[in-house]
This record gives sequence, structure tokens and C-alpha cells, in this order.
Amino acid sequence: MDLTRRQLLWTGGAIGAGVMLTACGGSDEEPTGSATGDSAKPRKGGTLRVGALGRAGAITRDPHGSQANESDYLIISLLYDTLTVPGTEPNTEPRLAASWKPSEDQKTWRFTLAEGAKFHDGTPVTAEDVVFSLKRLRATPSGASRLPGIQEKNITAEGTDTVVIVSDYANAELPLLIRLTTFVIPKGTTDKDIAKAPGTGPFKLDWFRGGNARLVRNDDWYGGEVHLDAIEVKIFESPQAMASALLAGQIDLASNVGAVAARTAESRKDIQAVRRPNDMAMPIVMRTADGPFADPEVREALRLAVDREAMVKQVLSGYGTVANDVLGTGDPAYDKSLPQRTRDLTKAKALLKEAKFDTSKTYELYTTEDISGLAESATLFATQVREAGVKIKVVKQESATFWDKTWLKGDLYTTYWGTNDSVVFFASKTMVSDSGQNEAGWKDEAFDTAYEKAIGSADASGRTQLLKDLQKIEYDRSGYLLWGMADGIDLAGAKVRGLPTLPGYGRVQLEGAWLAG
Amino acid sequence: MVLLKRAALLALLLALVFGTVELLPGDAATATSERGESAADLAARRALLGLDRPLLERFRDWMTGLPTGDLGTSARGEKVTDLLSTAFPNTLLLGGIALLLTALVSLTLGCWAALRPGGRLDRAVSATATAVLALPEFVVAVALVLVLSLWTGWLPAVTLADADGTPASWDMLVLPALALTLPQAGWNIRIVRAALADEARAPHVETAVLDGLPPHRVLTHHVLPGALPAIAAGLATSTGMLLGGAVVVETIFNYPGIGSVLASAVSDRDSPVIAGVTALSGAVITGVLLLADLVRDLVTGVRR
Repeated sequence: MDLTRRQLLWTGGAIGAGVMLTACGGSDEEPTGSATGDSAKPRKGGTLRVGALGRAGAITRDPHGSQANESDYLIISLLYDTLTVPGTEPNTEPRLAASWKPSEDQKTWRFTLAEGAKFHDGTPVTAEDVVFSLKRLRATPSGASRLPGIQEKNITAEGTDTVVIVSDYANAELPLLIRLTTFVIPKGTTDKDIAKAPGTGPFKLDWFRGGNARLVRNDDWYGGEVHLDAIEVKIFESPQAMASALLAGQIDLASNVGAVAARTAESRKDIQAVRRPNDMAMPIVMRTADGPFADPEVREALRLAVDREAMVKQVLSGYGTVANDVLGTGDPAYDKSLPQRTRDLTKAKALLKEAKFDTSKTYELYTTEDISGLAESATLFATQVREAGVKIKVVKQESATFWDKTWLKGDLYTTYWGTNDSVVFFASKTMVSDSGQNEAGWKDEAFDTAYEKAIGSADASGRTQLLKDLQKIEYDRSGYLLWGMADGIDLAGAKVRGLPTLPGYGRVQLEGAWLAG
Repeated sequence: MVLLKRAALLALLLALVFGTVELLPGDAATATSERGESAADLAARRALLGLDRPLLERFRDWMTGLPTGDLGTSARGEKVTDLLSTAFPNTLLLGGIALLLTALVSLTLGCWAALRPGGRLDRAVSATATAVLALPEFVVAVALVLVLSLWTGWLPAVTLADADGTPASWDMLVLPALALTLPQAGWNIRIVRAALADEARAPHVETAVLDGLPPHRVLTHHVLPGALPAIAAGLATSTGMLLGGAVVVETIFNYPGIGSVLASAVSDRDSPVIAGVTALSGAVITGVLLLADLVRDLVTGVRR
């Protein structure tokens, strides 16, 4: 293409990744279908080149280890299968477990394995393999939170195709809780051989090196037809480099590349932006146990002082939706009937006065720059609540310091969750009194009771009502101010079809993807 | 003696690295922990990583492993030598190409300008060199991607690694090498030009000129040899800056080198990895500095 004098001058004047992306012109190629919603018959064949974020020093091959890298999680998810996977409606779908059935008291769960499931080396998958894998997962440092309420000794095999899991308490949501990390490897795999362990997933490993991998189609996969011949995963440290690679045609899909790249790639007609709604929650946490925000009226005042529309527009560049202080917005059980909180400065001021909130003091709001937009959300929030008379100073902390010193302890801080979309997930991990990650130090008997009732209820429609009660309490007085939900944003080349639109880790479900001719 | 001094300096540097990582908030156990780990799990991992032992003891253990080529284990349980085994050669390749290009460009342009002292070309080269020298690597890098890749489509925008961990094709090396070379070339052209100007005032050069030798012969046989030590020292200094610049440039071009390993090691508070990178880079820089000394000794005829 021709370079004009203006373009050159512009480059000289403003250098930055954003400029770099907007400045590159579009090609004439018009996309004929969309990355996600194309109804045409999938074409078989082709290699999908995927860019995924990761740091070379944090690479792990262990499917039960802690995967800090998206690239690792993506590779592992394509090679190994979890018992269940995220879905749209219902939000838990079968994978290696074809079906499941709870006992009357919702404590004992029987998972039946998919027929014809085989490891990549041809050996059939047995219940023993699953038991071995779940026990191995349970024994990891975060095993207790990955398999909540499940002791190692209560994971057993029944025959060759049934796995029995007994929970310490009634838990109707067990299939949901095992959606993410229950990767199955052959029984007896030693730590030394973990990188070579065959999986049961839609793709087989061709090679792996330093976070980069080539995966080839598993023609024997029990889960349905896989269209792609191969997927090549490329590790990227920065979203900017990943976006450049996509624009230069070196990769076909930039996974979870973010709003900045999406906005700047808008001018390119040959690039498709895939938005996955309800992907990331970025709530502001107000400590309820003690401190200046312990009074529920103060917390409500802050919830009324925030301008949610402006937050979504400015912090998320519009790539997101307004939220209503209840976490788990992607859940089919999410209560849409709760009135949407909007900005009401008069009421906020009145509440603060009633609660005798000290408006002469300046309060500190702690944040990090772990994910894009987080620190910006804190700054904008501070500006907004000033209009209600609350003075807030934003303190940016370095990531390690933040997780060490502020998280779970601070009076007021930002946090983020990108791992799950269900109401129960957040309730169990962050809100019931004894949860390990009770970010706001919240103890509410009514909430605990509602939670226990909800997960202990066998009757699905009854549970929906119980979950509504739980969300009402959360809406009224929890420590969370959830102003909005960020979309997950992937960018793809013109030929890519069949990409997942699910939030969170749903983005790794690439087995349905295909390339148009 | 020089070798001993340099080795001692390297050891001191490594001690500093260890100490500095210790001063950062958090430690390797907290930095690599997952949300939801209990205090007991954290303590267990801290013990596993040996972080509960005194700093001096950990440093001594790490240092005693050095002579056997053992660089210790990372906070995530990987052998540091494994982490660096493909990354470091990749960085050396990139840095080596950049150093070679820097030497070629600066010698050529420096000599060219020196042949016409005070002329328009001389002034143009000096001015450009100064301007380029002032540009940070990331600015050069972004501009290069924009012009030579995204607009023209001539070269790949980023480096992708192959099954063997090296860049998938040679043309992926061009942009990162250029991004490193340009600022360093600016620096070295000025050094070459200044060294040649200094040497040109030496009595033996004046004699050669008065003898009526052609200017290029004076340059190659009388000026350049005397200026070599200064030029070698300049290039040796550039080695350090090239390795430092590589960290930034590698991130922009997704180059599979030590840059990304080092960046993640710092955020993981991973002292063995950081020290491993420092030790290897330090050894390379020390080697190049020794070479520069050798050049000086050969030229000036000093014996040690």
C-alpha cells in the first residue's frame, strides 16, 4: 500500500501500540461469514494458528498444577478432558462424564464415563484413571478449593465406568464445580512422566517446546467430529505483539487479546472481533467485618454513587455491560428481576448522613495493574464518588504486594475474577462465612443458610427460587460493588469459524472451530 | 589478574541480585501461589523452595552449584538450565547479529565520514548518529514493525518459534536485530569518528600525510590501527547495552529469548532464574571486555 506523507509524520509524532494498530490499513477482503454464528457446513482440514498469552518463565505441563499461562491452559484443555465442561443452557455440559446422578441427599454423586473414550495411545479410559486423576488434583496446594468439600478418600471407582464422589455436605452443584480442572490422565502417571502423559481430548500432542505446541486431530475422539487437522499454539508475552502477529497474518486467532487491540483493529475489515460477554468481573470490594465500610448503609451509598454506564464506557471502552452488584452474571440462574441500581447521588448522600459516615476523611482505594482497566476503574470510581462527598485516594500496588498485603484484608480495593460465571461459584468461594477467599470478610447467617439450602436442594425449580433469595441478600448487603462485566475479546482472521463465545475459560473450547476455504 | 578481578566483580554482582530480589515485596512462594492457597500450603511450599533458610545460605548453595553448571531450580520447579537452554542461545544469536551489524555500520560510516573531515557528509553522519542514539529501542521497534511489516508486508511482524525452539525462519530475525542495532550504531559511529579524529592528529599520521600517501591508505594503515582499542572498547560496552535492550525488544517482537524469561522471573521473585540470567549475561560481557583488552594490548604492545 502507498504511504502518504501524513501517515509517516503521524508515525513520527505518536508511537505506541495503539497507533501502530490503527494505522495499518484494511485489505479488500470482506469476511463472508462470522467467527461464531456461521451456519454453513464446516469444512474439514487446515491448521489453526492460535496466539495465547503466557510468560516463558511460568510454563507448566502439569494438568493439575497451577496454570498461570493461558497458553498452557489452552494446550492442556485440548489434550486432556475434564469430566464436565461449561455450556450455555444448561451451563454445565457433559464431556468425559457422559451423565451423572446424585443420591437423594445430594451428597453422593455417580458420574458415568463416556462410551468409547480412549487415551491417545489407544487404551480405554476407566474409572480408575479418573479416580487417580481426581486424587492427584486434590493433593495439590489448591486442591481443597478446586474440589470443595471432597476428601481424597471419598473419591472411588465403581466398576469400570462409574466414578463415585461423596461430598461432605449436600451439594447439588458438584457437576458445575468440576468443570474446569478435572483433567484426566492415565492411572499411575508419575510426576516425572507428566509431560508425556496421553490425554483423551480432541487433539493429540505433536510437539511442545517452550510454551509453543503443535496439536493434531484425534480421529478417535468420542466427543464428536473435529474439523481442524491441527492447532498450533504460539505463546505471546504481550497482547500488542499478539495483535501485530494477527494483523500481519502470522496467526489466525489472538485469544483474549483485550479491548485495546479490538478497538484499534476495528478499521480492518479482514479481522473479526469475537466478544464473549460476562467474561470478567472487576468488582470493588468493601470490607464488611470492620472498618469504615462495615455499615451496610455506607456500602449501599457507594453502590448508588457509582455511574455504571460511564464506567463501562470509559474503563472497558464500551466492551462490556452494566452489572447489578450480584456476581455470576453469566449463570442461567442469575436473577434478572432485581431492580437495576442506577446513580442516585441524593439518596447516596442521605444514606451516608444517616450512617454518620465521616466525609472529612480521605479513604484509600487499593488497586493493581494486573489486568487492563483495573487501575483505571479505581481512578474513575474515586472521581465519581467525590460527587457524593466521599473522598477517595487511589493507591496502586505492585501485584505481589497487592495479593500479599491487601487482598482479603483491605477496607476498600479492586479485584477481578475471570474463571467462572455461576452464582454458586462466587457464593462458595468468596461469600459464605467460612470460604477461603472471603474478600470482604462477610459473615451473614441468612446468606449462609440460603447457600446451604440452595446447594442441598435436589429439586431444580425449587433451587432456582432459593438461588434468587441468595442473590437478593447479596444485592442488598454484601461487600461487593459490581459495576460492570468486561467482555472477553478475541480477534480472528477472516477464515476462522466456529469459535466459542462462552465467558471465562469457555474460550479454550476450540474443538468446534474450522477454517473456511 | 584481570580475569580474577572480573570474576570477583561478577560474584559481587550476583550477590547484589540475590539481595535485591530479597528486598522486593513478597517472595517466590507468594508470587507463584494460586488464589485460595491456605497459609499452611504456602508455608509448605516456602519450605520446599528453601525460602525459609537464611539468604546467605541460599546464595552460598547456589554459588557452589555454579562451577558444575548447576543453576538451581526455579520457583515453579523447572531446572534453570532447562529454562535457559534454548532462550539464551536465541538471545546470543540476536545479540551477536546486532553486534556484528553495529560494528559493520559504525566502522563503515565512521571511516567514510573521517575521510571527509568537516565536510557535509561528515556533519550529516554525526547529526544522524546523535539523533538515532537518542531513540529508545522500543520506539525504533514499533516504527520498524509498522513500516516494514504491517504497511508493506515485507517482513514478519513477530518471531514465532519452531519445534526446536529457534525462530521459525531467518527473516524473523531482521526486525529485532535492526531495532537493537540502530541505537547502538548511533553510539558507536560517534566513538569511531572521535577515535579516528584523535588518531589523525598523531605525529606518525601527519608524517604519512606529508609523505603524500592517498587518504584511504593513511586511514587503513596509519589511523585505524591506533584507533582500534577505543573502537573495541566502545563495541564491548555495546554488548551490555545490547543484552539489556534485548529484554525490551524481545517482548515487542515476541522473540523467544531470555528477555521474557527474565521478565517473568522478576515478577515471580525467582532469584535462581534471575541470578542465572545475570551469571550468563555477565560471563558473556566479561568475555567481550577481555577481548577488547586483548585488542588494546596487541595494539599497544603491552605484555602481562
